[in-house]
Amino acid sequence: MLDGILLEKAGVPSASIITDVFELTGRAMAEQWGLPYYKFLMMSHPIANLTETQLDQRAREIAPEIVKLLLQGQG
Amino acid sequence: MSITAEKVAVNAVMAGCKPQHMPLVVAAVKGIADPRWGYHGPGTSTGGAGVLMIVNGPVARELDVNAGDNLFGPGWRANLTIGRAVRLVMRNVCGSLPGLLDRGTLGHPGKLSYVIAENEAESPWTPLHVERGFRADQSTVTVMAAQGPHQFYNQLSNTAEGVLTTLADDMRISGGIMGQPNYAVILAGEHMLTISGSGFGKAEIRRFLFENTKTSHAHLKRTHRMSGAIQPADETLTRPLVESPDDFLIVAAGGRAGAFSAYVPGWGSKRSSQAVTVAVEK
Repeated sequence: MLDGILLEKAGVPSASIITDVFELTGRAMAEQWGLPYYKFLMMSHPIANLTETQLDQRAREIAPEIVKLLLQGQG
Repeated sequence: MSITAEKVAVNAVMAGCKPQHMPLVVAAVKGIADPRWGYHGPGTSTGGAGVLMIVNGPVARELDVNAGDNLFGPGWRANLTIGRAVRLVMRNVCGSLPGLLDRGTLGHPGKLSYVIAENEAESPWTPLHVERGFRADQSTVTVMAAQGPHQFYNQLSNTAEGVLTTLADDMRISGGIMGQPNYAVILAGEHMLTISGSGFGKAEIRRFLFENTKTSHAHLKRTHRMSGAIQPADETLTRPLVESPDDFLIVAAGGRAGAFSAYVPGWGSKRSSQAVTVAVEK
């Protein structure tokens, strides 16, 4: 999340992905780092113990959202 | 974000500090603001790190920072209030509110206050701050992002190797998934005398622990701490607990009576957070 915020501040388009249990934390972090309206993506928690197949499925599902956010930008 | 002296003072008063505690609080705040300490990680992580503060030099005696019985509490105002002041700065000034930016899954009691001093008066060893490049007559605080203390027991052995073998066995599988950036090792009175009686200085302790806390990749995989299938070479391929023997911070502290000592795993990885020692300026 912080990497994405710092990239965006440096002018590099970013797409941060967090799991849903960190939504409030992500918003608070964005506010703390001076980008209160920073847009980020979410998926359901957890991901660390997913199988490779499940992880591939998650990636396929969220890929269009990543493309959309990167093309749309934070503006 | 700026942490002003005024804001630190307000939080120190709320924590119950005396005015003379302020230089130590300021030094600790400088420590957690150091990029090597990496505030973002230990300030927010689900790993739930506290700020272990190890006080060395004359200031420990001047402020009556406890280095003996009930090392981790309770009983000493300086130990309780200085750590509390730092935590209040973290939440009230830096915004690390539990449940919001501070997402510690469990946290631990040391997140309220986690201050100890080294027992330099009785220690046979070089004090921690001297090992880390300061003069013996300087006062310092070493801040380490830290999990809770793990106590271990050995009253049978009368050799350094015996006591440290027990410690290494306790430490080998501890902390996070793949080892920690630092471990503080707190050796109390009885163990301090036994270990030093065998001719072990802090360097020898560090080397012994480094060699005897390695774990095979096969064991880490069998116990689901490391991913992947077990390969034949994994039985002999080992993972050290820390990157270097110098990553063990050896501290003489705790009561004279009782065959107990403790180790404190650090938080995260060396890239994320390292222990930092800061001079206390009056």
